[in-house]
Amino acid sequence: MRLALASAVVLSIATAAPAAPAPATPPSLSQLAESLASALGPPLDGRRDVALAVETRARPLAPPLEAALASALAARGYAVTPLGGGAEPEAAARAGGHDWLLRVQAGLVPGRRELAAVAEVVPAWTSFFLQRRPGARAIPPRVIEATAAADAGTLALAREGRPAGAPFAGVRPFARVPGRVLAIAIGELEAGAGPSVAVATPGALSVLSGGGERSAEIALDRGGAPPVRAPAAALAIGDFGGGRLAHQEAGARGSVFSLSRGRLERVASLDAAPLCAPAAGPLFGAFAPGTSLLEDRLSPLADPAAAPRSASRLYGVACAPRGGPIALALLRVDLRLELLGPDLVPSPAGPGGQPAAIDGVGSGFALADLDGDGVAEVVASSPDPSSPDRIRVLAPRPGAPAILDVGPVAGAILSGAAGDLTGDGVDDALLGAVLPLEGGGEATELLLVTADPREAR
Amino acid sequence: MSRGRPSPRRRAALAAAVLGLAAAAIPARAGVRPAYGGTVRLALPALPREADPALASEGPDLFLARATAGLLLELDPGGRLAPGLLAEVPSPEADGRTFRLRLDPAARTASGEPVLAADVVRALSRVLSRSSPSPHAWAALAVAGAEAVLDGRAAQPGGIQILSEHELLVTLSMPLPEFPYLLATPAVAIPGAGPFVAAPLEAGRPVSLSANTLHPRGRPLADRLVLSAADARGAARLLERGEVDGALGPDAAGDRVRPLPTLTVTVAAVNGARLGSSAAAVRAALGALDRAALARRFARGAAVPLPTLVPQALLSGGAAAAAPAADGARPAASAPPAPPIEPPRPLRLLVPEGASDARAAAERLQVLLFDRGLRAALEAVPRAAFAARAAAGDCDVAVASVTVLAPRPALAAAQVAHALRGAAGARRALAALAGKDGPEAADAAAALGRELDLFPLVASGARASSGPRLLGLAAGGAGAVDPSGLWLLGGGAQ
Repeated sequence: MRLALASAVVLSIATAAPAAPAPATPPSLSQLAESLASALGPPLDGRRDVALAVETRARPLAPPLEAALASALAARGYAVTPLGGGAEPEAAARAGGHDWLLRVQAGLVPGRRELAAVAEVVPAWTSFFLQRRPGARAIPPRVIEATAAADAGTLALAREGRPAGAPFAGVRPFARVPGRVLAIAIGELEAGAGPSVAVATPGALSVLSGGGERSAEIALDRGGAPPVRAPAAALAIGDFGGGRLAHQEAGARGSVFSLSRGRLERVASLDAAPLCAPAAGPLFGAFAPGTSLLEDRLSPLADPAAAPRSASRLYGVACAPRGGPIALALLRVDLRLELLGPDLVPSPAGPGGQPAAIDGVGSGFALADLDGDGVAEVVASSPDPSSPDRIRVLAPRPGAPAILDVGPVAGAILSGAAGDLTGDGVDDALLGAVLPLEGGGEATELLLVTADPREAR
Repeated sequence: MSRGRPSPRRRAALAAAVLGLAAAAIPARAGVRPAYGGTVRLALPALPREADPALASEGPDLFLARATAGLLLELDPGGRLAPGLLAEVPSPEADGRTFRLRLDPAARTASGEPVLAADVVRALSRVLSRSSPSPHAWAALAVAGAEAVLDGRAAQPGGIQILSEHELLVTLSMPLPEFPYLLATPAVAIPGAGPFVAAPLEAGRPVSLSANTLHPRGRPLADRLVLSAADARGAARLLERGEVDGALGPDAAGDRVRPLPTLTVTVAAVNGARLGSSAAAVRAALGALDRAALARRFARGAAVPLPTLVPQALLSGGAAAAAPAADGARPAASAPPAPPIEPPRPLRLLVPEGASDARAAAERLQVLLFDRGLRAALEAVPRAAFAARAAAGDCDVAVASVTVLAPRPALAAAQVAHALRGAAGARRALAALAGKDGPEAADAAAALGRELDLFPLVASGARASSGPRLLGLAAGGAGAVDPSGLWLLGGGAQ
């Protein structure tokens, strides 16, 4: 079965929809507040006076969440008094003569784009029978909780700031995969299932959960295609018609796979190399015949006849998952990384009209907006094969110093991809370091590069 | 200490480990994927002179053979067998002596001709041919009927049966579990089916090779290879000027140097029958030869003393490792003092032309023999003549250097024994070491040395010197550089 993508897929990275007026309260905060208010229920015995104390890991989240809660509680007949950031909210509630203290703690759930809130419902009135014990609670407190999917606004508010003096990003092991990982892709393989990681090894395709556990695998058959001496693959997660995972190994025919109930199933063939699939749509290229290098060819269509941009050969192509002014990066075999904007032209334009490029980028790389400022950084391995590998985060402009330089790293980093794996709403990067094993064979350590402060704890 | 036979998987791992190829031994390097394209210029100690893989025995010729001849099986970087022109690694059939070889139907020579079963028969028969004797007859000696080919009574061994265009059955005359490793040597590779195609060799001119895009493992990384000759100093100068990308030879040529496994063994053969009463004195002199000093001061390249006929790099520890002066070496202290005698004629020490380590060892032996009242004369002869005379016993002592091609003790011992004792010696080596590994193989190799009156001396290896752009100049699974794995940083882009 052939995949009829050519007529359906059109690259539209350039056109971003005009931003809609932002609501006064982000919907997910309202939803969370409503859920929490529902869990609290109506006022008990006419006790309507609630002192509200809201604590969040990210300070900017507290005021809007407090407002959303106040609104939701008021709609249920409560008289709400926000306490602000006092040190002893229960004492303040008692001193203020309130009936209840609603003490709410909220934050993002690690690894998921979900906001969670836990609240203690503490009685603040003085019990007639316990007058000799001024601090005693009239009735036992209770705990209520609620969750809501985090939208972009909430993610922006809930994202924790980097502690003073902390490095730009951290690196930690994510998962270990048997064999040599040729390509990595990050994205949502099933609707609503959260991010997955797909990895291609010679002869196999595996899917890992956002937490790094292997969830599906399928053996690949080159279909009699002649081998290439240094195996390579292109892999992308996105909308590919019948499936969301597209793969091609150098020298062999590509395929589209779907993931259903934990099983990968081949649903269509593909005559192009799926380079990446950002939100704007997939992008295809082609392996140079007989080699593991890509031709300098970028096309929104799976079109084997698409004209190459130049005669250069590429190690790989990376897309910024959320686009932005640096939308694509092409690594040439001379280890020069060409940066392209959403319209596939050099961005920002280099001096004298030269393409904007960064020299000295290793062949394991990704474009990831780690700090959420809207511009992707380059996360790259070392270009020097005579020394141990390193992980570097580079600003996307020629000659810029490394924002982060971590190393030496065990193994050789040969693959990379970007996507939000920590659930904080901004990109992370995964790099694959190939390690030789004692007794023969190889494994690949997937390393998570993230600026999410929760990962640094 | 357990002396049980390791499994094939473990054997491969051990072999890889001792060859210095095991994972832990490889320093971690940054990840830059290989690039295709460009011309790799390599300086060798001499220009290749022999294009026939069945006749290649010296370093430059073996390099050319690996570049231009298609291996029936490959050795992966971990030393494990992998398909080459054969579609699969053959396993012994029920009787343990029969192997079914299946060619990859897609296997082609560089000119596009399919590689057929008849080509494999030709390659295996070629090394046994009487018309132009090959130094690699050891590689096919185990095939039933090999003797008839060696004697000129048959054109091909009777133990090879063609079943179809792509399938043949090989029956051995002896159990030899290592047989598949023989198929991974350039000695029995298929000419014209290698990763590169060589232009016709012209004396004194660099050898130019171009990529074979039809190679069954995929086209090589470089578009072209150019092989030139330079001594160590010249190679260093060329590297410094950027006129070559790398150099292979016994000496270092530059800063980025990697020693290759010590798989070239230098061994002396004593002709006891011809020496008569002088034999004991000669053996004592050989036993007294300080092999450590020989390795350190006289051998070229990275050299180590050789305790048995099998390079230490192929033995996984054990007796040989623990006792560098094992039986084969007969240390001077244990040798009976030799009474000075005056033979009627000077002893004749035979060495092959151009074998620097063999010559250095023979010269040291000459001095020791003189100290014991024995006069000896060195005679350097062409390699083909050396093999014939050594096998026929036409010398008193023969000293040869042999580059071991197959990373298994039995096959290494057979190759060494063949170089100095001919086919009969190789057969004894195969029978003595077949299926053995580690300490067991070391003990058997030591006993074989005594039996064949062979004295292991040193093992040496070449050094690989790379310029700033050349990558892949390192030992592959067989302990030698794989020409198809050479590549330039930036490929053909610079």
